[in-house]
Amino acid sequence: MRLKQLKVSALMFLILLVVLPLATAFSKKETRSEMENRTLAKFPKLSLKSIKDHSFMDGFEEYISDHFIARINWIELKVDVELLIGKEEINDIYITDDMLIEKLEEPNYQEINKSVDAINSLAERFTNPEYFVLIAPTSAGIYLDKLPNNAPQVQQKEEVIDYIYGSLSENITSIDVYSNLYTAKDEYIYYRNDHHWTSLGAYYAYNSAIQKLGFTPISYNKFNIEHASDSFKGTFYSKSLYNGIKSDTIDIYTMDKSEGIQSMVVNDGTSETTFDTLYDRSYLDTKDKYATFLSENNPIVTITTNVENDKKILVIKDSYANCFIPFLSEHYNEITVLDLRYIGITSENVVNINDYNQVLFLYNASTIAQDENLKKMNDIFTVTE
Amino acid sequence: MVFSSLTMIYVFLPIVLLLYFLSPNRVKNLILLVAGLIFYAWGEPVYIWVMIVSSLVDYLAGLVIHKYNDNSKVRKIALIISMTVDLGFLTIFKYSGFFIANINSLLNLNIPVPELSLPIGISFYTFQSMSYTIDLYWRKIKVQKNFLDYLTYVSLFPQLVAGPIVKYEHVQNEIHERKVNIKLVGEGTNMFIKGLAKKVLLANNIGALWTEIKAMDFGEISVVTAWIGILSFTFQIYYDFSGYSDMAIGLGKMLGFNFPKNFDHPYISKSVSEFWRRWHITMGSWFRDYVYIPLGGNRKGKFRMVINTFIVWALTGFWHGAGWNFILWGLFYGVILMVEKVYLKQFLDKLPNLIRMLYTFILVVIGWVLFDTSSLTEAGQLLKAMFGFGNDFIDDYAKYQLSSYIVVFVACILFSTDIRERVTRLLIDKKNTAKLYYYSLPILQLATMIVCTAYLVDATYNPFLYFRF
Repeated sequence: MRLKQLKVSALMFLILLVVLPLATAFSKKETRSEMENRTLAKFPKLSLKSIKDHSFMDGFEEYISDHFIARINWIELKVDVELLIGKEEINDIYITDDMLIEKLEEPNYQEINKSVDAINSLAERFTNPEYFVLIAPTSAGIYLDKLPNNAPQVQQKEEVIDYIYGSLSENITSIDVYSNLYTAKDEYIYYRNDHHWTSLGAYYAYNSAIQKLGFTPISYNKFNIEHASDSFKGTFYSKSLYNGIKSDTIDIYTMDKSEGIQSMVVNDGTSETTFDTLYDRSYLDTKDKYATFLSENNPIVTITTNVENDKKILVIKDSYANCFIPFLSEHYNEITVLDLRYIGITSENVVNINDYNQVLFLYNASTIAQDENLKKMNDIFTVTE
Repeated sequence: MVFSSLTMIYVFLPIVLLLYFLSPNRVKNLILLVAGLIFYAWGEPVYIWVMIVSSLVDYLAGLVIHKYNDNSKVRKIALIISMTVDLGFLTIFKYSGFFIANINSLLNLNIPVPELSLPIGISFYTFQSMSYTIDLYWRKIKVQKNFLDYLTYVSLFPQLVAGPIVKYEHVQNEIHERKVNIKLVGEGTNMFIKGLAKKVLLANNIGALWTEIKAMDFGEISVVTAWIGILSFTFQIYYDFSGYSDMAIGLGKMLGFNFPKNFDHPYISKSVSEFWRRWHITMGSWFRDYVYIPLGGNRKGKFRMVINTFIVWALTGFWHGAGWNFILWGLFYGVILMVEKVYLKQFLDKLPNLIRMLYTFILVVIGWVLFDTSSLTEAGQLLKAMFGFGNDFIDDYAKYQLSSYIVVFVACILFSTDIRERVTRLLIDKKNTAKLYYYSLPILQLATMIVCTAYLVDATYNPFLYFRF
């Protein structure tokens, strides 16, 4: 009996050792993993140098693991096993009953201080516009009560939002959207599988923000809501590969039937594309459906609307602004949107700050707590008389 | 290369095993040699020459020792040359930075510290190769006249980089003639999968927790967090190292070699000296055979025994790494073993087993504090936190990690006892249950392989601790 076991075990082991490599060798090799939003490793170049500096071996091992047969299924199996043995977080994503929540990194106060200084200094150098800062909480800041028992989490409101608001110069207006969002926390204001707020969440933020900016908010029932997709699984899903949470819905809010703008010019750093809408619906067929709003993140986007006033606003932002700006487009004649993460440090004076009536900084509290790009403003925007 | 990687298990191993099984016996050593060199070069493409040169020197020294059988002077010189080269390489690569840094700070000098990276496995293969010339000098073994066979022994890939430290004596027959059959492959599979599970499922898993806690400020953590942290390391190092040894022994079996056992449930030892008879057994016996006994052991009176013990333990610590913390860790054991031998033994023998195990385990855990903290201050802080000086007993963090890792911890505790072996014995004792056992084992192994593969594919966290040695 023991001999039989040994034979069966040996065969099982050897078959596994033959079948999996062969299946891997003959499987179709993808070049990109949409799921992880990255390019998969290519087979490394074999040379004396690449062997000597070890890059061949590293590249080979990366290649094997990136192209291993049914790779994503293996990882999903691992996730299942982890949850089965009592883990409540996968890859810094907390798994809760109905949504995925990010485990926040400790705020990087050194960088936060530099960012705040850069904002304060901009307001000092260009005195024409009014300045506003909106730091949006992420779902991690709102849903502390959904976390696993005793799970460590940064107190986003106190440690990030309040900290930043407390360090801004007096001539800069901070816009509190936390309380509005917190009150609405039982509604669908954050994606369950992604790190963004939903259009509804952005609407609640807009509702408080637009009053500070000097307008009357448009009431919710004036909007037409289009359910553009109901199969969105965003970044939190990609990070955790946890399948147990319902897919998200992408909603597009429009007034009347038209989409209310003359043009949206998207500058991706090398070329310009003009849209007649704020929504690039081609992204609805891809994995990154949130990119529908403003056609992904781009260095500079210029929006000319049908609003007949002379109000110009400059929005310096991260991706949270992308589904927020459609609401602004009902109030301003011109909106310029800058994403500092994609602007090179050499592109000096991309815009003239003094041309604008208002400058709005819109970031989410998770990004800005680690962001290292705001300080670029010191070099990008220089005063030229 | 490490065994617990997709490349090793699903590329290297299938190719090597296939070629090895299909080829006639006379080329099997050549295949092993090439496999060993590729395996080694995969991790260490440059310093592979160190291994080859020191093997060559030991091989030539062996020839000389054998040839001048009657000339004790020549034999001695050959031995000394071989040992000087082996220990010389080890010193240059592993310890020169440490020595120079210490001389600099002691004498206020500014000698530049060489930045040499440590060739993988040098501590292991140097010791293996030295066992050959020393044993030959003592006329305990036969000479190896074929250099390729000798290099095959040194570069035998299963135990090349992390042990067990296989003396030439263990394989001197098998290097020329060994059985390769499905029964041995089965035994090897049993052992390999057990080791892989230890490494991938237990060590890596619990190690992630220690990495996290180690990065925290020990002055701020609660008592329970401190204990969770150091217990994580306690289990990580055991499952990492013994898992690797099991895989090596398993692979050895598949190839027809019988390597010595390296771990025997050390954490249920009833005294510290018993612990060291169960932990990294091959290293302990190497130091006993080649340092302690040649120094006179305990045959030259109490004083010499004390001195010898301390020399052995300082070296044991130093072997683990070029740092004062490792020497301290070694001496810590030297002291405990002395005290145990001279005073505690009669007293300990009268205590219940459970108390003796607890006493041993706690001392071992304190040892790991010294072993894996970067400074004495840090070690002191962690010990203070563990024994409740100043901080809370338990905080939310500890509660959260306890609930996240409870299953892993329970598994770590259970498998560090001999419960698995006891249950197995019970099962195979009766006919019905034996049948159940033998039928379900391959299924269990398949499931383990699949889960391990899943973890390896995910492998965000798969460091191998023993590369430092």
